[in-house]
Amino acid sequence: MKRVHLSLAVCLFSAISFFSCTNDDNTPTVQPVQSQTVKNLAADPVTIDPQTGQPGAGTGKYTLFSLKDGQQIANSDSASSKWDIGFRGTTLIVNGGTIRSGQGGAYIHTGTFDELTSVPESVTFATDQSSSQLAIPTGSGKGWYNYANTIVSPIPGKVLILKTGDGKYAKLEVLSYYKDAPATPTATSESRYFTFRYVYQPDGSKKLN
Amino acid sequence: MPTLLNAFLFAVLQVGGTSGPLQPDRPQPRTDSLKSRKLDEVVVTATRTERPMGALPMPVTVIGKQQIRQMGSLRLNDVLQEQTGLAIVTDHGQGVQIQGFAPEYTLILLDGEPLIGRTAGTLELNRLAVGNIRQIEIVKGPSSSLYGSEALAGVINIITDNAGSSGRRQTNASVSARYGANRTSDLAGDLGLRRGKIGVYAFANRYGSAGYDLSPETAGNTVSPFANYTFSGRVTADISSRLTLSVSGRSFSEKQENRYEATAGSVVAGPGMITDRNLNPVLTYRPNQHWKLTGRFYGSYYRTETDLRYQNDGKVYDQSFFDQRFNRPEVQIDHYLNRKHVLTLGLGYNAESVVATRYTDRQRFSNRYAYAQYEWLPNRRWNIIVGGRLDNHSQYASQFSPKASARFELSPTIALRGSTGVGFKAPDFRQLYLNFDNSVVGYSVFGTHELVNSLSRLQQLGQIAEVLTDPAQFSGIRAESSVAYNLGVTADLQTACKLPVTFSVNLFRNDIRDLIETRAVALKTNGQSVFSYVNLNRVFTQGAEFDGSYRITAGNGILKISAGYQFLLTGDKTVVAQIKRGEVYRRDPETLATQRVKPADYGGLYNRSKHMANIKLFYELPKQGLTVNLRGIYRGRYGFSDRNGNVILDAAPEYVPGYMLWNLSAGKTIKNLTVQAGIDNLFGQTNPQYIPNLAGRLWYTSLRWSLPALAKN
Repeated sequence: MKRVHLSLAVCLFSAISFFSCTNDDNTPTVQPVQSQTVKNLAADPVTIDPQTGQPGAGTGKYTLFSLKDGQQIANSDSASSKWDIGFRGTTLIVNGGTIRSGQGGAYIHTGTFDELTSVPESVTFATDQSSSQLAIPTGSGKGWYNYANTIVSPIPGKVLILKTGDGKYAKLEVLSYYKDAPATPTATSESRYFTFRYVYQPDGSKKLN
Repeated sequence: MPTLLNAFLFAVLQVGGTSGPLQPDRPQPRTDSLKSRKLDEVVVTATRTERPMGALPMPVTVIGKQQIRQMGSLRLNDVLQEQTGLAIVTDHGQGVQIQGFAPEYTLILLDGEPLIGRTAGTLELNRLAVGNIRQIEIVKGPSSSLYGSEALAGVINIITDNAGSSGRRQTNASVSARYGANRTSDLAGDLGLRRGKIGVYAFANRYGSAGYDLSPETAGNTVSPFANYTFSGRVTADISSRLTLSVSGRSFSEKQENRYEATAGSVVAGPGMITDRNLNPVLTYRPNQHWKLTGRFYGSYYRTETDLRYQNDGKVYDQSFFDQRFNRPEVQIDHYLNRKHVLTLGLGYNAESVVATRYTDRQRFSNRYAYAQYEWLPNRRWNIIVGGRLDNHSQYASQFSPKASARFELSPTIALRGSTGVGFKAPDFRQLYLNFDNSVVGYSVFGTHELVNSLSRLQQLGQIAEVLTDPAQFSGIRAESSVAYNLGVTADLQTACKLPVTFSVNLFRNDIRDLIETRAVALKTNGQSVFSYVNLNRVFTQGAEFDGSYRITAGNGILKISAGYQFLLTGDKTVVAQIKRGEVYRRDPETLATQRVKPADYGGLYNRSKHMANIKLFYELPKQGLTVNLRGIYRGRYGFSDRNGNVILDAAPEYVPGYMLWNLSAGKTIKNLTVQAGIDNLFGQTNPQYIPNLAGRLWYTSLRWSLPALAKN
């Protein structure tokens, strides 16, 4: 987790300096929201038994994340609107739906992250209805990843348009499922470490850059 | 010089006097002319009747015994890898790719009967010795209209030697020994005796190698040491002037000493055994010139056994066996109405079974089939063949495979040929019945008929975390099928231009549907998946093939130069459409930046080379008994695996670089003895990571003693 904290600290620092800049500006203009990158967010990693090659049991808990704060939220706050997205292995949850407390939702958009400048009017947000009916579907080729030759790879061109726990909008692109985002992950690469980038729009509008 | 039609009719009428259905006499005395050699080569594979190659309306290649010997080839893969448009690819063994089709779509026949024992669809070509081969016939394009399943990309028929023509007194014999790099040795002998009505031919071969290691940093060899034995033979008897019996058999056995790193740091070792046996009695009855009745029976048995154990504690890593049987009675009637009409009818029954570690019980298949073919020669210029076959299978829907082809002689120099047909490949045992839990990695694979039961078994054991797809969706698996078009030109400039040049061009297109692929059905609690088989994709392959040869007299000798080239495009139709709509993206693995894939980026199916070529120089000094040849084989770059997250082939790092192989061989014959020496892969080309079957530079030397035929034909 040290690495995560470090990169989050960098993100926060850049965010603070960004806001301080706008404060100095006399003519208020709409500034684009910043893209943040989070590295190596642990999503219930499991250790592999070197004897059997089988993964051990994880904690089964989701790593809950707040896009606004750019940090992890304690599992004790799972029944609040503080968090926006949760990670456990390849399963992603959002803070909205009958089994959640927040107002969140998700839509899987096909396109590039940069070209997605606002939430399209046609988007309808899915929510987590049950553990088997999630807003972001599980399974290879169905949601955010492909699984082939024992490797989980985020599908390029899949951007998650998110509604946060408190009803704001954001976009998120998963970049890697493996620790330190290796260029060619192998079956022995440490998995369940998410690298992703996102844009969070704090003003409640659908504008995403 | 006979015209093609004459050659054709001659062959048709000759049928009445040949010794067996597969070994017709050469209708003419040999001449030095390239044309007569090429055209007179009698082919049985394309129509299931003896035909001169030049008259056929479909693309056919024939490789004769002499050429196989001069190339210094030992196994079938050695011969096939040097042929235009053919690539040897490895997937659980070395198989052959034709017109861009994976090995499982080419039917491999031995004297017209199918060889069994495929692993993951590949029939290991290394199992076949070439010392007893009279010729190899390759028919490209689907032949399911005659042969049924698997004959989608083409058919390769290995015609073995026999004891010579009926009614003569003849003795042939040879013994050869060869030794080369990697302690590879080959010992072979054959004997052919013909005494009037009885002919006996026998062949024996031992082939062994110490293997080789391209990656010394890991435990074990790239190819483990092995030795195998082949015994084969045929007895022919002319019971009467009209009735002939031929019984042939083959036995192959191999033992390999495996040793390799199964997972990081743990080495497994143990023997792997393969046994393969066939028996094939054929009864031929010719009441008169117009009728020929053939009754055939073919029985084949294939078994593998593996016993791999961890070297440190002796615990079992993989202890398994696979046992397959195939039996087929078949009758065929050929009716030569007159010089213009030939009708062929066939009827047969296949019974197959498998019992293996990875199958629940003994699983059985059966298949009744009937085929018909009508050949029409309206005049000197046309040859038209139409035919079809109906397969009625016990496990999946009936298949009808029609085919039509025609050849038109534009002039004595140029002929046009075209064919269209339907090919299919039935779901195999693995796709229907496999019941396999990989205890090391933890995934499971179930055939479609096993899926529902096996999945509920795992569910009861609490091993299933989540079912991804309704298993009922997998029950209706269909045969894979294709529609193919072949259009070509053949030319021989000897008559018109006095040039010893021949060439042919063939354009092809194959549209394949219902390709069977593995798909994850459920996630297991251990993080691995449960897989089964499903009809998924629609793909195409298309391209052009060129072959040419030029024969010149150089000094006292003859130099034959031949060249071949294949251009190939392949693709998944769904992917092509998605890219066109701008829905496919890729992520640079280094920068993690996402980008849209353009239509021009798509490289088609993996493991297919856009360009393949060969050039061969054969030089012969007949008086001195000297032969030298140099053959260059080029395989252009081909896709290996995805590296940018979108599963498809679309970026340069996803390719294996192209390579050129040069093989050199020279031989000298003095009376009954031939000494040969050669170097395969002259420049020591290797690629341990991606092409493990490329062994590096291999030298060899061999000695052969042969007793020539006492009565020359």
